[in-house]
Formats: sequence, structure tokens, C-alpha cells
Amino acid sequence: MSADLLTLLGAWSIATLRSATPLIFTTLGETFTQRTGIINLGVEGEMLVGACVGFAVGVATGNPWLGLLAGALAGAALSCLHTALVLGANANQIGSGLAVWMIALGTTSYFGRVLVGNQVTPLPDLGSPLTDGLPFLSVFFGQMTMSVPLAVAAVVFAAWWLANTRSGIQWQAVGDSARISSENGIRPGIVRFKAILLGGLLSGFGGAILSVDYTQTWAQDMTKGRGLISVGLVIVARWKPALVLPICIMFGLAEVAVLRAQTAGWTISPHLMATAPYLVVLLILIVSHAMARRDADMPADLRSVFA
Amino acid sequence: MMQVNRDSILVVSATILAFFLLMVGFFMLLGKPPFEMIGMLLTYALGDGYSISQTLAKTTPILLCALAAAVPGRLGLISVGAEGQLYAGAITGTAVVLAAPGLPAALMLPAMLTSAALGGAFYGYVPGILRARLHINETITTLLLNYVTVLWVNALVFGPWKDPASQGWPATISFPQAAILPALPASRIHLGLLIGIALAIALHFFFTRGASAQKIRILAGNRKVGEMFGLNFGTWVIMLMAMGGAIAGIAGIAEVSAIQGRLQPTISIGYGLTGFLVSWLSRHQPLIILPVAFLVGGLVAASDALQLFAKVPAASAIILQGLLFAVALAVPGFIKSMRPGYER
Amino acid sequence: MMPKAIACFENVSRRFGDLVAVNDANLELFQGDVTAILGENGAGKSTLMKLLYGVYPPSNGRILIDGEPSAITGPADAMSNGVGMVFQNFSLFPALTVRENLLLAWPKTPFWASERNKGTSEVLANLTRLAPHINPHSKVANLSVGEQQLVELCKVLNISARIVILDEPTSVLTPAEARHLHGFIRQIAGEGVSVVFITHKLVDVEACADKIAIMRQGKIVDVSIRGQRSMSEIVTLMMGSDVKRTMSPPALPKKPVERLFLNKICADAPGMSLKNISLSVASGEVVGLAGVAGNGQALLAEVIAGIHPVTSGDVVLDGQNLVRRNQMETLATPLGYIPEQPRENAVVESMTLAQNLSLRTLASGGIDVNSDVQALLTRFHVNPPEKDRQASTLSGGNLQKLVSAREFGSPRAAILACYPTMGLDLSAIQTIYLEMFAQAEAGAAVLWISEDLDDLIAGAHRIAIIREGQVVAVKINDGSLTRDKLGALMTGMNLDELVA
Repeated sequence: MSADLLTLLGAWSIATLRSATPLIFTTLGETFTQRTGIINLGVEGEMLVGACVGFAVGVATGNPWLGLLAGALAGAALSCLHTALVLGANANQIGSGLAVWMIALGTTSYFGRVLVGNQVTPLPDLGSPLTDGLPFLSVFFGQMTMSVPLAVAAVVFAAWWLANTRSGIQWQAVGDSARISSENGIRPGIVRFKAILLGGLLSGFGGAILSVDYTQTWAQDMTKGRGLISVGLVIVARWKPALVLPICIMFGLAEVAVLRAQTAGWTISPHLMATAPYLVVLLILIVSHAMARRDADMPADLRSVFA
Repeated sequence: MMQVNRDSILVVSATILAFFLLMVGFFMLLGKPPFEMIGMLLTYALGDGYSISQTLAKTTPILLCALAAAVPGRLGLISVGAEGQLYAGAITGTAVVLAAPGLPAALMLPAMLTSAALGGAFYGYVPGILRARLHINETITTLLLNYVTVLWVNALVFGPWKDPASQGWPATISFPQAAILPALPASRIHLGLLIGIALAIALHFFFTRGASAQKIRILAGNRKVGEMFGLNFGTWVIMLMAMGGAIAGIAGIAEVSAIQGRLQPTISIGYGLTGFLVSWLSRHQPLIILPVAFLVGGLVAASDALQLFAKVPAASAIILQGLLFAVALAVPGFIKSMRPGYER
Repeated sequence: MMPKAIACFENVSRRFGDLVAVNDANLELFQGDVTAILGENGAGKSTLMKLLYGVYPPSNGRILIDGEPSAITGPADAMSNGVGMVFQNFSLFPALTVRENLLLAWPKTPFWASERNKGTSEVLANLTRLAPHINPHSKVANLSVGEQQLVELCKVLNISARIVILDEPTSVLTPAEARHLHGFIRQIAGEGVSVVFITHKLVDVEACADKIAIMRQGKIVDVSIRGQRSMSEIVTLMMGSDVKRTMSPPALPKKPVERLFLNKICADAPGMSLKNISLSVASGEVVGLAGVAGNGQALLAEVIAGIHPVTSGDVVLDGQNLVRRNQMETLATPLGYIPEQPRENAVVESMTLAQNLSLRTLASGGIDVNSDVQALLTRFHVNPPEKDRQASTLSGGNLQKLVSAREFGSPRAAILACYPTMGLDLSAIQTIYLEMFAQAEAGAAVLWISEDLDDLIAGAHRIAIIREGQVVAVKINDGSLTRDKLGALMTGMNLDELVA
């Protein structure tokens, strides 16, 4: 294979992975939440807050890691609103998620105004003398930051944790039936609280990676529905953490293809191209619903929310 | 029945009180005198003829979008697609104007409105059929589809539909006079409001009297029972989703024609989501939507004014709406849990 | 000297809103004893034991454990205090494996719960001893009901319970499986466990109870030692008066005319499929359909009622097709159809009783409720008989009566009744059976799904057996049918195997 082709392949691979990374964290978080029987459309808002706070802290401290941490915590803090509404006041889950989103949209566009145009110190890339000059690898690692391996590790850990630990099995059980869980001595409210919190933490982290690591800018409503997309991707991944990785990478690939097509000088309107991510998600949702036996893998308690 | 009324009065007053307190807290957080600000909100919403005209101008799309959410809402569906349907209606309505700019008003207006309604209806039909046939959750599909039509409008006004005379500004040609919805002189109150009010009243009768009313109630209450007695849930999902879409489509063309006078990228400032909120607050009841849409329209209009005169951030309208939504969700459950004998 | 009670109820009451579920109950449980709690549906048996298990706190009175006031505030507490309970509908997670289910209820489960962790092997010990044939890695959804019950028992044994509460454990078992369970209960009682056996079947009491507590309308009306009272005394105490269940199905017409045909029905639903079901019911005939719960009865009922589409085959009544071919087709069933679980499947809770009785009219475009609703409410003893009351405020039993009123209230060409007497007291059961048989008398073809073999044998002309989505036998009820014969057909084992 020629060196050019390898370089191109490396560029595509890393671009795909980097575009998928914020989504991997968010989708993973939402997978956890939904596995316990709670749907949280507020992830869109949690991502936004994560992106905004993460970027602000990144700018202020000059330390991208602190930014990511702050973004994650902000997402987790916001998710407590969903907990309060859904578990505290027994409110409709979908309505509550939308309320969380609206509040986050408003607050971030207000507090985010001062951030527009700021520069953030990016995460260092993982290129090293070892890979320099090698075909494929030099591009691949030269453009990779720690966020990518972290995302992969998170998926692997999540899949292991859910299947092989006491708490993981408990979380699955709560999603299957809160009533039966409490008959077995599990406290479903607490488990769901933890799951929403973890979902918020991961969504906030995903949002912060979007602003601090991937785009390195802040813009109003910059997530543009990525959180909602991740809710759709959870369904496509059949609520399985292990499938989050390939599904998100598939999505990242579509996004990268659109970007590359634009720079390659295609004459299609950039706005039309920008619809691709949403249409891709819809398409894979349709395909997965048409193919999968209906709702077979869905946590049983979610059915009452979805129906 | 008395019990129900007492309960709802309690819920409504507690919601208003809690929202008021949150507003006070919000303005204090912004460092503004809260009571003065709330006073200003009221003045700018309802203070004089001009304010009321501004409020009604905002009420119109909110009212139509709320009805658009309420129609599928009656069946228990959570459609948040009014925003996208509004843009879809704007596109198909504008298409008529661009295709035949010379039509007389008597033909132009009905053709434009019908086309917009059809565009919106199609945009409700798609998530409807996905829900009915493939059981894909309508909330997620409608939310995703919202982003798509906004981009389509962009693609059109930056591309084929761009008025060459407008230089850099992305917009279509100005609508001919025949394509502008009639409005009250020197105000922004236009035919759309009348359509909205008429639709609300018509929907009230549709949902409370008559044959369809009971069928929808049965299906919303227990889908299996409906199916047992010959009602098809899927058919009704598609029908009501399309109907809601049509109403939002009218909201779209009304904004384009009466307020902006041409199609440009930003038609709506989140009217779809606001309308959803209004519908939710009104428990999807058309006659309650009327006053609630007016009040929320006032909130939106007054936040605009506050932004100009009191340097309150533009985003406060959506923050306040979000807080209102959260309060409305929290209060009923909270009151229920306060009651003696309540079991978790 | 009297042995000391492990658990003791002192003047315990429990109210739910206006309903007094348990009223001033006093009871002692002893080590090594099997205490049967006997009573009709709704007598408060389960609630009483759920108080001990900590599902709810008592409204009044107190529960002592080892002479100390019980500190149990929830099932988790109960389990760590050595109290285990097997619920009537089980508390297993169908989507999880047997092993995962056992781990969830085991206090000693370590954080790392993978099989590679040697510390978890002990969780399967009771399973391998009790039911070596169950694969710990199969999903609970794929187990038979009898197997699921064994898993439940393993859960309780795993916590080394001193008190084991079994809530209606035999209601889902075939007679042979039930006998197996009786033997097992004697065995663990012999090991010193105090077993509480909630039931409404006298067979269970005869087989293994040491002490019999009888509940009626929330009260413990009698506690006796085994043999102290005759069975008829016990029945009288349980029912409150000396009522006998009488079942008088109408005589079969001399020349039966086939009326309702099920022809090679195949249908698929998640976790269940029907294979080639054929059956015909004549005018005036009552055909019972017996089977262990979860063998396709519910799906078959929904197919016949035109709710669930078929993949092939058809159902014909008087030449009219009754089934849907796909989800988008529309079809109103002409059957008088009583589904199981009325609250979920048969009523619109947000509507009034009058509207619920008029659903046929309303769904076909009518605006007004039927004129005879008040008479129907009275005739079927719906309580309270207020036609403008919202259906959600009715108890399960009254909803069942409401649905019967709608479906049996006017003459039907055919009846499809699933467990029509579930949750009803004796007089209401009588009413339902009378009305159902009256429909047959008037010429309706009646298909009656039940798991109560005694009632089926007493009231059906023929009995079909459904197993794993297939009708495996249709027997004429000529007096030769017994519970054991039907039970054998239901499980697919032959009789000798079972008796042995």
C-alpha cells in the first residue's frame, strides 16, 4: 500500500475516532441511565453545560484536564434536577428531560457569551518519537489525544462492570423491574439516582471533550442535538455498553465523510450536508427497529415510558 | 368533581407561586432588582396597546405550536416536532409564493396556507408512521427532525431561493402584497391569530364532543381496549401526528408572511418548544391553551423588551420558560406527596 | 414448656386508604412448624405476611421477632434477619439469568461477581442440590413456572432463612409439581425452619400444614392444630357461611352445531409463539382451555379477540372472520371477551363506569352511553354501583365484575373468558358462572380459559390442553377426567411418571 493512502487512512481513522469520542461518553452515560429504567433527554443540556463550564475552566486555568473535570461535574450537578423531578416529584421523564435541556440552553447561552472567541489550551497529542515518520501511525497518534483511549477504556470498563459486578447486576435488575428489585432488597430509587448522576457526569465529560478537546471553541448551542442523537444511539446499541463503541464510530465516520466531502469541493450545499448526522441516526434507528425483534432488549421498566 | 377542582386550583396557585419565587431568585442572581424587573415584565407584556400588540404577535406562533403539540398529546404522544414542522410549513408555503408570485390574494392566501399545512402535515406524518409501524419513539424522531428542516431552510435561502438582489443577505425575495397575511393596521396582529383561536375552539369541540372524541379517549386511556373494539392505534397516531404537523406548518408560513415578509434563516425563536411547554401546562386542552399561550407570549415579548431596556440577557426568556416547565412538573407530584396516607 | 415463638403478631392492622386489609391480627409462628394461612382471595393473607417481610409497615399493633419488636423496615432487612418470602407472582427478573437472580438476593455476593471469582460458587450450591437440571446460565424467562419456583426457593435457602413465607405457591403448579413442593416444605420444616404457607386450597392444607390460621375479610377468624377441625368446618370458617360451590353447566344440545372455529392459528409475540392451533366450539357448548400459566393462553386470547395479528390461520364465528392479519388492520370483536387482568386489558380507567359499559357504542362512533348501565351495575353487584364514578377508583375485583357486566350483559354469539373469576369472592364467582352458562344456554359458543382444574372439570363439556403454544389434547369431560390426568397433559409427562 502506498504511503499516501496510509496517511489518508490514518487521517480518516483518527478524525472518525475524535468526532465519535464526545458521543461515546454521552451515549455510554445515557446507556447506564436507561439500563436502570430512566430515560433522560436532559443529556443534551448536560452536554451543553459540560461544554460551557469545561471550556470556561479550561480557559481560566489554562489546564484542559481541569476543564474536563469541571465539565463532568457540571453535567452531574445538572442531572440532579432530573433526579429531583423524576424521582422526587414523580414527574414525567420525557417532560423533565426537556425542562433540564431548556434551562441548560438558556443558562449556557447567557454565561457562554463571554467565552466566544476565547482560546483554550488543547490536550497534548500522543505523537512520540516512536511513531514519528511511520506511515499511518504518525498521523494516527499525532492527532490523537488522551480522550480517545479514555473513551475506549470507558466502554470496555462499562461493559465489564455491568455484566460482572454485584452493582452492575443490580442496575440491570432495577431496569428490568423496580418493583421486583425492591422485593429482592434492592433500593431502586438509590440505584436510579446513581445512574442518572453517572449519566450526567459522563454527558458533561462528553460535552467538555467536545469544546475543550475536539472543536476547541465555544459557541451557543454548540452540541446541536448531539445529546438527543445519543439517546437515539442507545436504542440502536440495544442498551448494550459494548455496542456503544462501534455505533458511535459509525456515526463519527458519517460526520467525517460529510466534512471531507465539503473540503473535497463537492458542490452540495453545506447546510444540506449538515443534515447528514441526523438523517444517519434516523436511518440506523429505522433499520435497527425493522430488523431487531421488537423491544426485545429494552429494559422492561422503560417500556412504560416509551409506550 | 369538587375534589378535582380544588386540587387543580391548588396545583395552579402553587405553580404560579413557585415560579414567582424562582423568578425573584433568578433576577437577584443577575443582580437586578427582582420586583422592579417583574413589574417591568408585566408592563412590557400587557402595559399598553403597543405591548399587547407585541404580545399577541408572539402569542400567535406559540398558540399554533401549542395546538400542534396538543393534538397528538391527546393520544398520549409526546411530539416535540412543532419547530421542525413550522419550518417545513414555511418552506412549502414559500414554494407556492415563489412558483406563482403573480396570483391574486384570493387564490394566493388559501394556496399558500394549504401548502404550508400540507408541508407541516408531512413532517408530522413521518414520525407518526415510524411510531405506528416500527414503534420508534416519536419524541426522539421529532427532536432529530427539527434540526433537519432548519438546515433545509438555510440550504434554500443560501442557495436556489436566494434573492439575487439581496447581496450577501440570505433570504428569498420579499413576498408580494397578495401573499402577506392581512393584519390589523399598524400592528403585528395578523390573520394567524384568528386562525389559531378558531382552531383552538374547533379542536375543543373535536376533543370533547362528537364521535372522534370518545375514540381518542378510549385509545389514550387503554390502547388494547380500543383495539378490541375496532379502533386502530396506529391509524390514529398517524392521523393526529399529521394533523398537529399541519397546524405547526400554518404557524410557519404565518411568521414568514406576516412578520418577516420573506423566508430567511431564522423564522422561529424556539416557538416549537415554547408551544410544547404551553400545551403541557394546559394538559393539552385547547381552551386552556388560549390564555396560557397569551401569558407565555407575554413573557417572551416582555423578555425581548427587557433585553433592550434593562440589559437583561436575551437568553432569560428560555431560562424562565425552562424554570416554569420544571416547576409545573414538580408541583403536582410534590403536592401529592404532602398528602396524608400517601404511599411511595 | 411452650416453645418460644420466632415471630409474633400482636393486634396488627393495616389500612390502605379506606380499605382495612388486615384487621387486628394475632398470630404466633414457631420453629419447625408449617403454618398454613387459609382464606379466600382478598382475605388479607398476603398483606399480613408482607407486613412481616417489611414491604409495608403495620398501621397499628406490632410484630415481635424472637420476642423483640421487629426492626424490619424493608425486604433487605427481612432477608438479613433470616426472613425469606416467595411472592405469588415471583420476584425473579425474567431478563436476567438464573445465576444473576440468585446473586441479587444473596447477601454474601462479593463486588466482583463473575464466575471466575471462586467466592461466588457457593451461590449455586442449593440450586445444584435442589434442581440440578436447571442451567444457571439460562434466562429466567426461558424456564417453566415450576422451575422458576425452584429458583425462588433457592433464593430463600441461600439466605439461610429461619422463616420462609410462601405466597400461593401452588397456584401456578400442576398437581404433581404441587405434591413435590409439599414434600419439600415438610423437609425444610424438618430442618427447623418455620414455614408460612399462604393458600386458598384445602389440598395444600391437608398435605402439609401443622397449624391452620383462617383469615376472612382481614381478620384471623380461627387458628387450629392439624386434625382439630374437619375440612368442612374449615371451609365454613373460610367462607363465612356454609356455602357450597355449585356448578351447573347447561346440558349440551342434542345435535351440536359448530359455531366458533379456530383453524391452524400461528402467531408470534416476544417470547411466545402459537403453532397450528385448531379447535371448534359448538353452539351451547362450554369448552375449557387448561394450561400452566405462560403457555400461550394470553396470546391465543388476544389473537381470537382480534388484538394480536396472526401470521397464518383464521378464526371464524358464524362465517365472519375474527382475526387481524397485520397491525394496521382494524377489527371490532363480536365476542364477549373477558381478558385477564381487567385493569390493564379491559377497562379505560380514566372513564366512568357508564362509559366503560358502553365502550362498544362509543368506539363505533356513538356519543351517548347505553341506557341500561345502572341495571347492569346492580345485576353484577359492582360496588359501588355509581355509574358516574371513575373506573380507576374501583378495586380489582369490582373491575372484574364491571367487565363481566359489559361482556355478559347482553346476548353474545360467542364468549371468550380468561380467568373470569380471578380475585372474586364466592358469591361473585357464582354470579359469573351463572351468567356464563346462561350465555351458553342461549346458544353462545363458550371458550373458557382457566387454571382451576376443579372448576373446569365441574363446568366444561370438553377440556382442551395448551402447552408451549400448542393444543396438545382435547378431552371430552365425561366424568373420567381427573386433576392428575389433566395435570399430566399440562406438563407433558405421563401419569405413571408423575405418581412415582
